[in-house]
Amino acid sequence: MRKIFAAGLVVAALLTGNEAQAQKKTLVIGMGSADAGKLDPHIASTTPDKGLLQYIFNGLVRMKPGQISPDTIEPDLAESWTANPAGTEWTFHIRHGVQCHANYGEFTAEDAAYSIKRAANKATSSYSNDFSSVASADVVDQYTLKITLKNPVAGFLGYVANINGGNMVCKNAAEEMGDGFSKKPIGTGPFMFAEYQPQQYVRLVANKQYFRGAPMLDEIMYRYIPSDSSRDLAFQAGELDMIYGKQDQSWVDRTKQMPGVKVLAMEPGELSTLFLNITEKPLDDIRVREAIAYGVDRKAIVAFKGAGTSREAVSVVPSGYLGTDERAPLFPYDPVKAKALLKEAGYPDGLTVKTIHTTLTGMETFIEAIQAQLKKIGVTLDVQLVEHATYHSQIRKDLSPLVHYQAARFPIADVYLTQFYDSASIVGTPKAVTNFSHCNVADDEIRAARIETDPAKQKELWKTAQEKIIEAVCGVPVYEQLQLWAWKDNLDLGYDLKGSLNLAPPVTEKTHFLN
Amino acid sequence: MTAFLIRRAALAIVTLFAVLTFVFVIVRILPGDPAQLILGDQASREAIEALHVRLGLDQPIALQYASFLGNALRGDWGVSMVTGQPVLAEVLSVLPWTIDLTLVSLALGIVIGVPLGVWAAVRRNRFVDYVVRIASLAGLSFPAFVSAVILLFLFAIEWRWFPVISARKGSLGAWTQSITLPAISLGLNSAAYITRVTRSAMLEVLSEDYVRTARAKGAPERIVVWRHALRNALIPIITVAGLYMSTLIGNSVLTEIVFSRPGLGKLIVGALSQRDYTMLQGMMVIYTLAVVVVNLLSDLAYGFVDPRVKLG
Repeated sequence: MRKIFAAGLVVAALLTGNEAQAQKKTLVIGMGSADAGKLDPHIASTTPDKGLLQYIFNGLVRMKPGQISPDTIEPDLAESWTANPAGTEWTFHIRHGVQCHANYGEFTAEDAAYSIKRAANKATSSYSNDFSSVASADVVDQYTLKITLKNPVAGFLGYVANINGGNMVCKNAAEEMGDGFSKKPIGTGPFMFAEYQPQQYVRLVANKQYFRGAPMLDEIMYRYIPSDSSRDLAFQAGELDMIYGKQDQSWVDRTKQMPGVKVLAMEPGELSTLFLNITEKPLDDIRVREAIAYGVDRKAIVAFKGAGTSREAVSVVPSGYLGTDERAPLFPYDPVKAKALLKEAGYPDGLTVKTIHTTLTGMETFIEAIQAQLKKIGVTLDVQLVEHATYHSQIRKDLSPLVHYQAARFPIADVYLTQFYDSASIVGTPKAVTNFSHCNVADDEIRAARIETDPAKQKELWKTAQEKIIEAVCGVPVYEQLQLWAWKDNLDLGYDLKGSLNLAPPVTEKTHFLN
Repeated sequence: MTAFLIRRAALAIVTLFAVLTFVFVIVRILPGDPAQLILGDQASREAIEALHVRLGLDQPIALQYASFLGNALRGDWGVSMVTGQPVLAEVLSVLPWTIDLTLVSLALGIVIGVPLGVWAAVRRNRFVDYVVRIASLAGLSFPAFVSAVILLFLFAIEWRWFPVISARKGSLGAWTQSITLPAISLGLNSAAYITRVTRSAMLEVLSEDYVRTARAKGAPERIVVWRHALRNALIPIITVAGLYMSTLIGNSVLTEIVFSRPGLGKLIVGALSQRDYTMLQGMMVIYTLAVVVVNLLSDLAYGFVDPRVKLG
C-alpha cells in the first residue's frame, strides 16, 4: 500500500510539473499557422513569417515601433541620410559598431549594399519589383552607402525600412549559407534565431549586443498553433502571453471578457475589393459595372463584419496611406439606380456573374453577404468555392470575371495603385502582379505620380488616378479588415501599439513583463 | 516463410511504383503553383518564373518524372520546395510524434475494447450488452476533434492537470503529460471500433461446437471464454486493429491540430496547401510503406496466434 502511495506521489509530481519561476523573461507568442515557411526576410510574404522576422532584422530606417505611417520614419541601422534635390541619389550613414548575430562581424555599408542588391534580385527576392528603379547601391566607405535611382521614387525611404526587401541581412552569413540562410536567419535585431522545431516553434534569444541596448526579455517562443480554439485555450491557461486572434468580431467580444487581457484591432486594415474584369462580357459594359457598384452596401457589410474590427472602404486605396483620397467619390448604395442601369444595359431580368472564390473562412462569409446584396438588384453571383492555393492560381489566369481580393500594402498609394491598377501589372503579362480587372484608365497618373518630386502635385495625381479608377469601376472597394491580437496585461510592450506593417506586434528591447 | 516474405516484398515494390506515379501525376494536375505560393502575392510573374526554373518546374513533365524516379531509386527524395529541407529529414523530425500517438492510442483501444467486447458478447442481449453497444456507437460517431476540445476544456482549463499545448518532451513526465489527452481522444474512438469487432467475433465463436464441448466437459466459464473462445476470435480483431492503425496514422491530423502536436498529418496537409510537390511525393511513399508494413505485420501475427495459418 505504501508503495502504491509513493508511486502515486511520483506520478502526481510528474504530472503537475515544475512551473515556479521568478521574474518572467520568456515571451510566448501563439501564431495562427501550422508551421514556419521560408524564414528569409526577402522572400517571406505571410503574416506568420513576417511577424517573426521583424524581431531578428533591422532596416536602414524604421517606422516607429507600433506605428505604420511613413511619417514616423526614424533612424535604424542608418543614423542619418541625405538625398539630392532630384531625389535620385540617397546617401546613408551607417551606425558604427553594430554587430551581426552569431559573430558574423560588424554590420557595415558593405552589408547594406549587399542586402539591397539581394532584395532587388528576382532570383533571391519576392520583392524585386520594389527595387526596379534602383540603378546601383555603392559602398562609399565603411559606414557610407550611396543608392542611385534611375528616377525619383515615391516614398523611397519606405523601401529601405524594416519590412520586406528593406530588411538588412548580413553579407557573410547570407553568402556562406546560401539557401540555408532561411533555416538560420542572421540579422542585427534585438533577438537572434536560436532553434526551430518543425510544427512547434521558433525560439529566439536576446541579442545582448543589440545597438539600442540589451533586451529586457531573455527569450521569445514563437509557437505555431493553427487551431483558433486551441490558441484561445492555451492563452486562457497561461501557456501563451500573446496571441493572433481569430479574425472576427465574436472573438473580440469573447476575449475582452477574460480578466487581465488586452485586445486590439490594429492597423493596417486589409482592403476587400471586388475587381471586375473590364474586358470580359458582360462586365465590359460600364453600366453593368456601375450597377454592381451601386448594389454593394458597404455599411451593411461593416455591420455584418463587426464595427470594432472592420470599417468602410474610403477609396480604391486603403485609408490612411500616403496619397489616399479619404473622401473619394465612391458609388453610394442605390439599388433602384442599379436596377435601372441593368435594364438600360439590356438585362431587365438580371444576369449572372461568375467568381472563383477561396474557402478561407473570413473571406467566404464576406462573399456570401455580397451575393445576397447583389441578388437584390438582380445580379446572381455564381460563387465557385475552391481551396486557397487553387484560387490564387485561377484568378491569375483570368478564369474569374469577378475577383474578391483582400490586401494591405506598404502605406503609400503608389504601391496599391501600381500592383492592382497599372496596366503593366495585368495578370498573365510578364510584369504581372495583381491587376485582375485589366484596368488601364489611370496609367498616366500612376506613373507620373511615381516620379513626381513635388508632394502637392504628387498627391493631386494620385487623387485623379483614384477618381478615374472609381469612375471606370475597375474595382469596387468594400471594407477594411483590421488585425486582431490579444496579450496579457502584465506584458508591457514598451511602446504604444497602433499597428504593425509586419502584421504582428513588434517586440523591442524595452518589452518586458511587469511582475 | 522466406518465399512469403519475398512475394510480399515484390508486391510492395509494385504498389509503391504505382502510388508514386499516381501521386506524381495528381499533384501536377491540381491547380495551384508552388512558386506563386512560396513567393507570395507581391511577386511579379518574372520572379515566379525564375523560381520555376530553379525548382525544375519549367522542364517537360516526362523529364521531371524520369529524374524524379531516378532520384527516388537512388534513395534521394529531394528537398521540400517550401523549406528547402530534405524530405526525409522533415518526415523523420515529426515521425516519432505520430508513431507514439498511434501506438499509445491503439494500445488504449485494445486494452479498453477487447475486454468490453468480450463482456458484451458473453452477456448478449442483457443490460451490459446494450450499454456497451450504445456507448461504442456513440464513441464511433463522436468526432475526435469535438472530444478533443471537451477534454482540453475539462482537463487543461478547469482542472489544469494537463497542458493545452500537448507537445512536451524531454522527460517521462513531460511525455506522459503531453500524450495523455491526445491518446485518450484518439483511443476512445479506436476502443469503440475494437469493442464492436470483438463482440461480433466472440458471438460467432461462442456458438461453435468446440465451445459447447468445452462447457460440456465442465471447463470453468472463465477458461472457456478467455482461452478457448477469445483465442479463436483474435484473427478478425487483429485484422481490424491493423487496418485501424493505418487510418490512425492518416486521420490523426485533427488531433494534431487541436492538441498543437507535430505529426505526419499536419505535414501532409501543409504540403498539400502549399503544393509542395516533392514533399507530397515523399510522404505518399512513406504512407504506402507504412500501410504495407502494417499489413505484413498483421499477416505475420495471424500465423503467430493461429498455428493453422501457414505463411508460405
